[in-house]
Amino acid sequence: MTRALSRIYQKFTHVRGRRLFIIPTRFGFVYAGFLILILLGAINYSNSMGHVLSFLLGSLGLVAMLHTYRNLAKIEFIQAYADPVFCGQSVNFNLVFANSVSQHCYQIEVASKQNKSPSWNPFKRISGYKVHQVIPKLNSEQNTHIIVALAGKQRGKQPLGHIRIASQFPLGLYNVWSYFNNDYTAIIYPKPSGQLTLPVSSEHGQKFHHHQQKGLDDFSGFNNYRTGDPIHTIAWKAVARDKVLRTKQFTSLQGGQLMLLWQDVAQLKDTEARLSQLCLWVIQAESAGMSYGLTLPNSTINYGHGEQHRHRCLTALALYD
Amino acid sequence: MINKSPSTNALLWLMLGLSLGASPHFSYQPLWVMLIFMTMIGWRCMNLWRNWPLPSKQHRSLTWLQLGIAAIATLLLVRSYGNFIGRDAGVALLTVMLGLKVIEIRSHRDYYLSCFLGYFLVVTNFFYSQTIPTASLMFVVVIIMTTCLISLNSPIQSLDSRSRLKLANQMLLQAIPLMLVLFVFFPRIEGPLWGLPQDAYGAKTGIDDSMTLGNISQLILSDEIAFRVKFDGDIPNQSVLYWRGPVLWETDGTTWTELTRKKQNSATPNISNTHSSYQYSTMLEPHNNHWLFALDFPTTLPITLKTHLTQDGQLRADAPVRQRVQYQLNSHTQFQFNVGSDVHLADALQLPADKHQRTKQLAQQWRNHTQQPSELVQLALDHFSQQNFFYTLSPPQLAGDSIDGFLFESRRGFCEHYAASFTVLMRAAGVPARIVTGYLGGEINPVDGVMLIRQRDAHAWTEIWIEGDGWLRVDPTAAVSKERIEHGINTIMPFSMRSPMFISHSRQLFDIWQQLSNNWDALNTGWDQWILAYGPKLQKEFLSKLGMPAPNWQSMVILLTLSITTLLLIISLFLFYQYKRHDPIVQLYQRFCNKLARLGIVREPSEGPLDFAIRACKQLPTYQHQIMLISHQYTQLRYSLEPSVSLVEYRREIRQFNPKQE
Repeated sequence: MTRALSRIYQKFTHVRGRRLFIIPTRFGFVYAGFLILILLGAINYSNSMGHVLSFLLGSLGLVAMLHTYRNLAKIEFIQAYADPVFCGQSVNFNLVFANSVSQHCYQIEVASKQNKSPSWNPFKRISGYKVHQVIPKLNSEQNTHIIVALAGKQRGKQPLGHIRIASQFPLGLYNVWSYFNNDYTAIIYPKPSGQLTLPVSSEHGQKFHHHQQKGLDDFSGFNNYRTGDPIHTIAWKAVARDKVLRTKQFTSLQGGQLMLLWQDVAQLKDTEARLSQLCLWVIQAESAGMSYGLTLPNSTINYGHGEQHRHRCLTALALYD
Repeated sequence: MINKSPSTNALLWLMLGLSLGASPHFSYQPLWVMLIFMTMIGWRCMNLWRNWPLPSKQHRSLTWLQLGIAAIATLLLVRSYGNFIGRDAGVALLTVMLGLKVIEIRSHRDYYLSCFLGYFLVVTNFFYSQTIPTASLMFVVVIIMTTCLISLNSPIQSLDSRSRLKLANQMLLQAIPLMLVLFVFFPRIEGPLWGLPQDAYGAKTGIDDSMTLGNISQLILSDEIAFRVKFDGDIPNQSVLYWRGPVLWETDGTTWTELTRKKQNSATPNISNTHSSYQYSTMLEPHNNHWLFALDFPTTLPITLKTHLTQDGQLRADAPVRQRVQYQLNSHTQFQFNVGSDVHLADALQLPADKHQRTKQLAQQWRNHTQQPSELVQLALDHFSQQNFFYTLSPPQLAGDSIDGFLFESRRGFCEHYAASFTVLMRAAGVPARIVTGYLGGEINPVDGVMLIRQRDAHAWTEIWIEGDGWLRVDPTAAVSKERIEHGINTIMPFSMRSPMFISHSRQLFDIWQQLSNNWDALNTGWDQWILAYGPKLQKEFLSKLGMPAPNWQSMVILLTLSITTLLLIISLFLFYQYKRHDPIVQLYQRFCNKLARLGIVREPSEGPLDFAIRACKQLPTYQHQIMLISHQYTQLRYSLEPSVSLVEYRREIRQFNPKQE
């Protein structure tokens, strides 16, 4: 029921566009106080230029409101991504903001808040944000990315949380802010640790084949370019020499097969220690150039090798419950 | 926000703004106010440029120094003004406090407060002067203070000083239409709301209610405007432009004063046989006194002011004239004044018993010769014209009995000398006489046809009472200088007294200067009449002309709200319209970049489109063909004179580009 309602609400807000909030800062209120003082003085002395000044400053205050609003109105939050980290490291979320209009935007303060259970108290909803950074300038019609570092304290998924951008530019009399609700998360692998050695001599993987296989690690020679070859493998220096497109060939060492089993770490005292041990093993197996797999009580990952495969294994460990 | 101290650049802007804002005050404040203020500004600037230390916990001694200066300033303030309440004292206090504040600006909060005090400093200037030059200078100060606020809210790396100044100008320019609406429609309230300090209206130059020989000749150096007159219809001759002010009866031998208030109001003047009527409206500069100036004899009272006519024919306002006032009058230049009798004739014969002995002897000789008042008058005037008397703008100082000294020794005098000695002569000869002060003449500005009466037109003349004729004007100055009477003071004033030194040598330059100053005067007349005089009365008048039948504050507020809303809408349309003007090629490229950004490939601000394309291809090898194609099309369309692709193709290509993570 509530989910259905919130879906309708989200549709609504999507149609209406992002909402911006604007209120005077405390300096805005002080400014207003000064204006009233000036106006009272002008009335008391029947001073025409005093009237002019208070009206000019009052109008300036109104115009400043529009400028502050505009400074934030067209900033879009494009996306956020973070490379996976190991537990205990800090998660560096890379946030991309776009300024799609021809005006530069200045002094954008980026803050975030971890998702907590929603409260009906509106004041609780706007508080609790942690300011990460102030972007001094968002160039017109360009994207800008900033890094928001969060502490990766727990393995699993680390959400970015609610993002709030705010600005007081140009006069500091108003504070305008806006929220971006999102579900970007970062994977936090278990912390790699443990005393057990890699079970290479077990009954599962003892044969070591050594043969050349196309890979990514070590340079082994040139090949002629064929359509579909990755562009980064093109040997540009060689092109400059004789105008023939060649690609560089790399090899990697294939170091035997190994299945990492939950039972192998069963002797350890708790789940976290087991996951940490498996995590360490995955890293070791990868760097040893083995073809390895992973068997957990609820899932199995087949033999494989490479960055992607390692990520799959570590993610499985990170999300294990 | 982030709590750090304001940047050097922002502080320097603030120093500039505050110094400019305080500078007009230095001309009338005691010297120590300027010394303390400028020392503090200088100290802060040296801190910014040369890293001089400021009062702080590390520099205890400097904190004591600062406190010492504050204590000395307080003592000086009490010594100069006695309290902190008056206008001058308040301004001195504000200036000194701002100076002391400047060296201890550490946080954003301090900075904001100083900026706002800077705005306040602007309004204190307007309590002294509201002229166009002051207003212009103060507008510059407002621009600088606004730039200060912008500087505080943007780091110098992202927005340089020029852009800040430009933004401040832009914002103030957008604020001006709103300000005009507020100025016209904001319901005006008649001040004052509470009591004003004693010195709220400083001493003004101008005619005084007492006269000592030498008073009026000081005024001729003043170019200031006393009042402006616009005639409806005929303009009288120069020689009858006698603007009556205070009438002086009583004398102690050196100083002439008015009758007591009670005697002044004891009866109403009796005017008969009036001829030559003139309609005109007068705009009188504030002089902090009761009298209003009217062409000889006003036969109607102004409707815009509460006024009354005294027994000796002065037009007086019930309240002192503290703001520029406008009033319409109908005057006659030919009339008979108290023909039958005058209740204060005894006062018009009073002379101090032990003064002016030689003068009294001379009058007695004449009186032995004739008893006829008209003949006595002629004798006196002949005496002036035949006995080597001179009219001079710079009369010599007189020691001892000034009337005797003038009549028998120096024989050089200004109008006041002639008026005073003539009155003494007449009284000694038994003819009732009194001195009238005011202005004589006036200059029509050809630009707007407004007659300007300046302080240097100040004049004094005499009225004598003759049975059957009433009070008659006798201007003894005419006996020595007909020009002054018939052509105004300007004809006898050398150019050098009316213009800057270097101009007075050349007739042509002087003419150009004269023309410029005529235009300037006309501009000032408009400024004074429409902007500075815009108060509750003028607002009502103006709004009725605009078509509001009975302007009250409710309808004004409604109109104000409506027009401000409309204007704000227009301004925001203007602000947001700027978005739409950009190039579709760039816009489409931006969309392409956004699509890549969703996959984590973000273009750096410094990265060229081709560099970015190569980097994107490395990360998304599957789409390298499309990426290279779009980037190529973009550079072609954007930078090539004859692009080989069309915008349509380019748009289609970008629309079809939907990369997905492998």
